[in-house]
Amino acid sequence: MTLANGTVLTGLGVGLNSAVGTVLRVAAHATLPAWSKTNNDATAEADTLRVAIASVAADLDRLGVKAGGTSAEIFEALKMLLEDDELFEVAGENLADGWSAAAAFGMAVDTFAELLGGDAAFEERVADLQDLSKRVQAHIAGVSMTLELPETGTIVLVGDDFSPADTAQFTPAVIGVITIKGGPTSHTSIICRSRSIPAVVSVTEASALATGDEVLVDPVGDRVVVGGNVSLATQAIQFVAVSDEPIIDVRSNIGTLSDAQAAAKTGANGVGLFRTELLYLSEKTQPSVEQQTTSYSAILAAAPAGPIVVRTIDAGSDKPVPFLNMGQEENPSLGVRGYRLIHEHRSFIEDQLKSLEAARQATGREVWVMAPMIATVQEAQDFCDLARSIGKFKVGIMVETPSISVLVSDLKGIVDFVSIGTNDLSQYLFAADRMNPALGTLLTPWQPGLIRTLARIADAGRAAGISVGVCGESASDPTFAVVLAGLGISSVSASPSQVDVVRTALSSVDVAKAKNVANRVLEATSPETAKAAALSALAE
Amino acid sequence: MAFKATVTVNDPIGLHARPAGQIVKAVKESGFDVQLVNANGDSTSAASALRMMAMKAKTGETLEVLIEGAEDASAAALVAQIQEFLQG
Repeated sequence: MTLANGTVLTGLGVGLNSAVGTVLRVAAHATLPAWSKTNNDATAEADTLRVAIASVAADLDRLGVKAGGTSAEIFEALKMLLEDDELFEVAGENLADGWSAAAAFGMAVDTFAELLGGDAAFEERVADLQDLSKRVQAHIAGVSMTLELPETGTIVLVGDDFSPADTAQFTPAVIGVITIKGGPTSHTSIICRSRSIPAVVSVTEASALATGDEVLVDPVGDRVVVGGNVSLATQAIQFVAVSDEPIIDVRSNIGTLSDAQAAAKTGANGVGLFRTELLYLSEKTQPSVEQQTTSYSAILAAAPAGPIVVRTIDAGSDKPVPFLNMGQEENPSLGVRGYRLIHEHRSFIEDQLKSLEAARQATGREVWVMAPMIATVQEAQDFCDLARSIGKFKVGIMVETPSISVLVSDLKGIVDFVSIGTNDLSQYLFAADRMNPALGTLLTPWQPGLIRTLARIADAGRAAGISVGVCGESASDPTFAVVLAGLGISSVSASPSQVDVVRTALSSVDVAKAKNVANRVLEATSPETAKAAALSALAE
Repeated sequence: MAFKATVTVNDPIGLHARPAGQIVKAVKESGFDVQLVNANGDSTSAASALRMMAMKAKTGETLEVLIEGAEDASAAALVAQIQEFLQG
């Protein structure tokens, strides 16, 4: 099947530049022989396996030297997995059961893949392991695993996903990359970003591309255009400030003293999210109120001028605080976390608020406090009562559960403000685990389901006289920040490195223009059209 | 008599591939037999990165380190090194 010129395939873009080139479809590697038992002596098979492992290790060394720099470390790490003592031990047991060298190794890798499974942190290591397993088996079977790419030309490589050993074989002719699987944090994405190779990943329909097709790789547009030329490439918007002050406040996200110091060097108007859990994650025993006051005072004093919005502890069983003795949970992100800790650990949260009040008095700073993981109006009421009984704070809550997002108007008279955590709100709204790289497309802030939810929260907040801020990752994207301002969000909070870019974007438009951009985005029914609508409205 | 000490996983992503690799390297260089024991009592060889990763030790978890065949001073130095790798 050939795709018609002009066909648009969507995915997730990596990089800011586009590229036009000829597709080279990388087929899955040659099939390996099925696993079988052998009549050979187990010792002889063990020798065969040893030789194959040593040879693959030598390949990795060579690739590491060729790749150089940080990529060399990746090969060092792969070699360590390959040469793991226990992996060989388990393979040895399979050999003793009569399996051939290739089968014994493949099965041993499967055993460890199983042991490491179910944990998102190891997902890519498991993929690495399986890749090594195939290499060892290919060596034993005499099958070639090299990509054999030309040195010259303008190639856009298209494949399922590329392993470290594959990307190390990229030649200068590779000017673009498209993968069918893999997310924005996959190995392919990381390598393409570091080498400035335009890439679009997670392009499900890319399997229809054939060698010889001319394509435009358009990362900014999160798309691939068949037969497209450079003039179709989505341009990254260049914002030019036209006023000194942004149309809404731009604050900074911080977690530590050094973050506070970095934020103070930016144009941030205060802190929109101070993540307090980082102060506790490495403590074995609960720090005293005096110790906490000292830490908080130092950070409050260093923070950029303006209000400082402090989030009370946001820990859970996946991010446990040692002294709170959190048990294991089946679904930590849906478990006892954030404000839900109040039932078991009320005194800890009270101490945290007491320390913040003492630090507020010591530094004379304006401190706002908010609780994470609030799901009901009652929880909001309880937290606000507690916080007001302890200190002179402005008091609010995070909006990150779908349940509270529809109850914002009922918070009138209870909270002074709310702050939307778009990362968690997306995860809960789309029922899509943030840790799972395969679900990246559901978690882009450009999803209409998220944007319309944000609009409703902003409207409800305005009607109830509650200020609504956004402190998620999405506020660090300058284009999206303009959309947020247009939706009626009253402040955004970005990571220190993004504060000034976001400020510039929000100083380049007036309120009417931001509203126009937001209205156009609200009409979209897909993330691609939402983003395109924002870019085109901004360009007008 | 084995040398015993406790280390804490402070790395925000838990005991993942990088610290496991660093530990294997240090353990192999030391030539000692080193076992890590988690709160459930499961014992794992610190000479295998894969076994250590399969423990799925999370941030904040404490592990007991058992070292055979070492003088106390060199065992303690190795424990300090392991703790350093677990800082993240």
